[in-house]
Amino acid sequence: MRTYEGEFTIEQPREKIWAFVTDPHKMGTCIPDLIELNVESETRFRSLVKVGVGPVRGKFDLTSELTVTEPGKAASLSIRGGGMGSGVDMKAQMELGDVDGGTLLKWRCDAVISGPIASLGGRLIDNEARKITEKVFANLKNALLALPDEEVAATDKTADQG
Amino acid sequence: MALPQTELRPMGKPIGRKEDPRLIRGKGHYVDDVMLPNMLYLCIVRSPYAHARIRRIDTSAALAAPGVKLVLTGEDLAEMNLAWMPTLAGDQQMVMATGKVLFQYQEVAAVVAETRAQAEDAAQLIEVDYEPLPVVADPFQALEPDAPILREDKEKKSNHIFHWEAGDREETEALFRDAPVVVKQNVRFPRVHPAPLEPCGCVSDWDAARNKLTLYVTSQAPHVHRTVLAMVSGLPEHQIHVISPDVGGGFGNKVPVYPGYVIATVASLKLGVPVKWIETRTENIASTHFARDYHMTAEIAAREDGKVLALRVKTIADHGAFDAAADPSKFPAGLFSIVTGSYDFKAAFVEVDGVYTNKAPGGVAYRCSFRVTEASYLIERVMNILAQRLKMDPAELRLKNFIRKEQFPYHSPTGWVYDSGDYEKTLKLALERIGYEELRKEQAEKRARGELMGIGISTFTEVVGAGPAHQFDIVGIKMFDSAQIRFHPTGKVIARLGVRHQGQGHETTFAQIIAEELGLSADDVLIEEGDTDTAPYGLGTYASRSTPTAGGAAALCARRIREKARKIAAHLLEVGEDDVVWDGVAFSAKGLPGRAVSMKDVAFAAYTNVPEGMEPGLEATYYYNPPNLTFPNGAYIAVVDIDKGTGAVKVRRFLAVDDCGNVINPMVVEGQVHGGVTEGFAIAFMQDIPYDADGNCLAPNLMDYLVPTSADTPHWETDRTVTPSPHHPIGAKGVGESPNVGSPAAFVNAVVDALSPLGVEHIDMPIFPWKVWNILREHGITE
Repeated sequence: MRTYEGEFTIEQPREKIWAFVTDPHKMGTCIPDLIELNVESETRFRSLVKVGVGPVRGKFDLTSELTVTEPGKAASLSIRGGGMGSGVDMKAQMELGDVDGGTLLKWRCDAVISGPIASLGGRLIDNEARKITEKVFANLKNALLALPDEEVAATDKTADQG
Repeated sequence: MALPQTELRPMGKPIGRKEDPRLIRGKGHYVDDVMLPNMLYLCIVRSPYAHARIRRIDTSAALAAPGVKLVLTGEDLAEMNLAWMPTLAGDQQMVMATGKVLFQYQEVAAVVAETRAQAEDAAQLIEVDYEPLPVVADPFQALEPDAPILREDKEKKSNHIFHWEAGDREETEALFRDAPVVVKQNVRFPRVHPAPLEPCGCVSDWDAARNKLTLYVTSQAPHVHRTVLAMVSGLPEHQIHVISPDVGGGFGNKVPVYPGYVIATVASLKLGVPVKWIETRTENIASTHFARDYHMTAEIAAREDGKVLALRVKTIADHGAFDAAADPSKFPAGLFSIVTGSYDFKAAFVEVDGVYTNKAPGGVAYRCSFRVTEASYLIERVMNILAQRLKMDPAELRLKNFIRKEQFPYHSPTGWVYDSGDYEKTLKLALERIGYEELRKEQAEKRARGELMGIGISTFTEVVGAGPAHQFDIVGIKMFDSAQIRFHPTGKVIARLGVRHQGQGHETTFAQIIAEELGLSADDVLIEEGDTDTAPYGLGTYASRSTPTAGGAAALCARRIREKARKIAAHLLEVGEDDVVWDGVAFSAKGLPGRAVSMKDVAFAAYTNVPEGMEPGLEATYYYNPPNLTFPNGAYIAVVDIDKGTGAVKVRRFLAVDDCGNVINPMVVEGQVHGGVTEGFAIAFMQDIPYDADGNCLAPNLMDYLVPTSADTPHWETDRTVTPSPHHPIGAKGVGESPNVGSPAAFVNAVVDALSPLGVEHIDMPIFPWKVWNILREHGITE
């Protein structure tokens, strides 16, 4: 199991961010290298993504399920699936908090990666998984920054717990 | 320089290898060269998870894919009662997973298609729904009381497989209680893999019209494979024909029966056409059997003058998901109790506990006679630590503790009877040849200048040639071996043996043994192995057993023929049998020089002119059950220089002085030593198969699991002493494994010696440059 986490502040009200992150149509598009997004319900979406670690290149078919832990404040996203004989099991947790002039988004992701993608990628996998996870939240931040109406600015901190 | 194969009295001569013209020109015939009409290809779907329940397998898309003829899962095999098969260690292992998977890369489903590409493509379409379970990748964690139980099929609800011990606990404890000096060290022998150039594979061909199964298979033990296949499949054994064609390296990896062989056979039985399965490099390293993975703790009790008293060893053996270690059945830790090595300990006590983990199964004797490499490495490493603590020269400590020449046959405290050896002579030759004293002087000068140079000694004893049938068996089959020799009328010979070479040079060396006994040249003798329909029953080639067992059988079989030949010679010479003299190449009449007949004359007469009442023909079969094992030994010395900036270790010199008893072919012995030391070098410096906490295999390819090329490999120097085995028919002992058994400790001892001024006493293998660099950095030697 690998754990990655980080946080950033967006100058937007919490409700607006909550509405974004709990909408599969919007959240789904934050996945990097997305080939296809298929929203199955308000809390469930499937995505086909391009993956490449070391010598292994191919597609992953992932099913994501959103669970609200505390309405308006905390939610988790479980992502399961795989491809090329490999498996991915992730649990991403998000927590929103009010801070001066905006919202603090804290995230933490526990990932278990199995199969050739984990073993063939060898020592590359840790960096790669961190990069992908961070990219999800970087995309999220960018999408939130691009939200209309209010002027927004963000500061962020990212930490890796390997 | 190689001598021609036409040389008479070839024993002990460097006769050129008969197999080389074929193999060097790419004209070998390996399993993947077998092409049969209507042959299909098998590809195996493997688990990405180390431990997971299988909820559902959807094979529909794969079945609909182009060229696909058959898809098999564990459930299909379960219907045929073939989902599980017995292992050589008395456990059972899954052929294809039913219910759950227990290691990453485990067999889950299989696709058979018209081409390999079609099979591989369709395999990608099989959807398996897994429910991941908690993974146990560490053998110590596996023994914790709250660890998940991996093997639900076993009655015993524990990850503990076996406890095994040898020696005398009380006597050992008593000596430790009063000992003035005790050293203790944890030593890990990493999980490594034989990684033969040719991976494993087979072509299984069920001929329904003839009711016969022909299995072409990468096998070091074709007869054992036939018997196991008969037991697993229920097919009558005489309807199974196992052929092991040229084998591209085995090193123990090709002793077990792998699931792929069984699946290909089921597929051929179902489809009625030949099915080929050739594994990929990743499948080879990550699913077929690994070696070692021993977590050892050794303690030596000694006097202050360096005389050793007692040895205590505790080991946790990681066997992976199934206990499929290829050991003789009554020896779950192999011959590990040889761990007292070349030293005269008063007492010893050795314990090994085998453990299940979510890792690939195995524990094969990788160029090793069943856990002897682990034992030799351990004792040679810990003897050096004792020398370091006592500030003694490691050569002096060894000379002080060697079993002396006059003590043979030597009864070891763990129950072995060593046949012969002259350890002092062998080490002294090595010290002289390497220029030990001058090297130590050079080292002292370099140390004064802050340079890092090390000298490592390993004086190992192995135990090979399983073996005496009363002690050793595999699934009940006694471990003898066999030879069958047949003369053709023109004096040429075909000989078949129960072993199966994979690069050892049997086509030459066994021809030399037989030619020597029968007055022929190696050129006159054709050696054939690996075909169960023609060769006499034997247990195969591994554990350096071919020369000790089949080599003995070949010599005794030839002598049996010579007895009959003597009678025919008497008839031809027209003298009484007692008046016939054999001089090594011909029979002559006593006192009548010039009246002689050659073996060629005798062979012709055997088919044309036998004495009245004698059965015609000239052939014999011999099943040889050796009275004891043999104990090859050697003294190896490595000299290394360490780069202070990078931690890189350069092996400046390496000398291997081996004593393998009488030598059949010194060139073949030298070749064996070169190959084995290269493997030992790789194990010491570059090889390990680590797993992460999720059970992912982190070195399943040759980018992460390193195999040295000629560019990485140092120059090897060799020499020998000859102490014949007193019980072997030609005084030989076997040598194939000595260099792998003896060399890792020499390399590691040299590196530790170089770093000893820093207080370093031990570094676990593999000694990657970064490990040395970290040590140098800790001590402020480098930044």
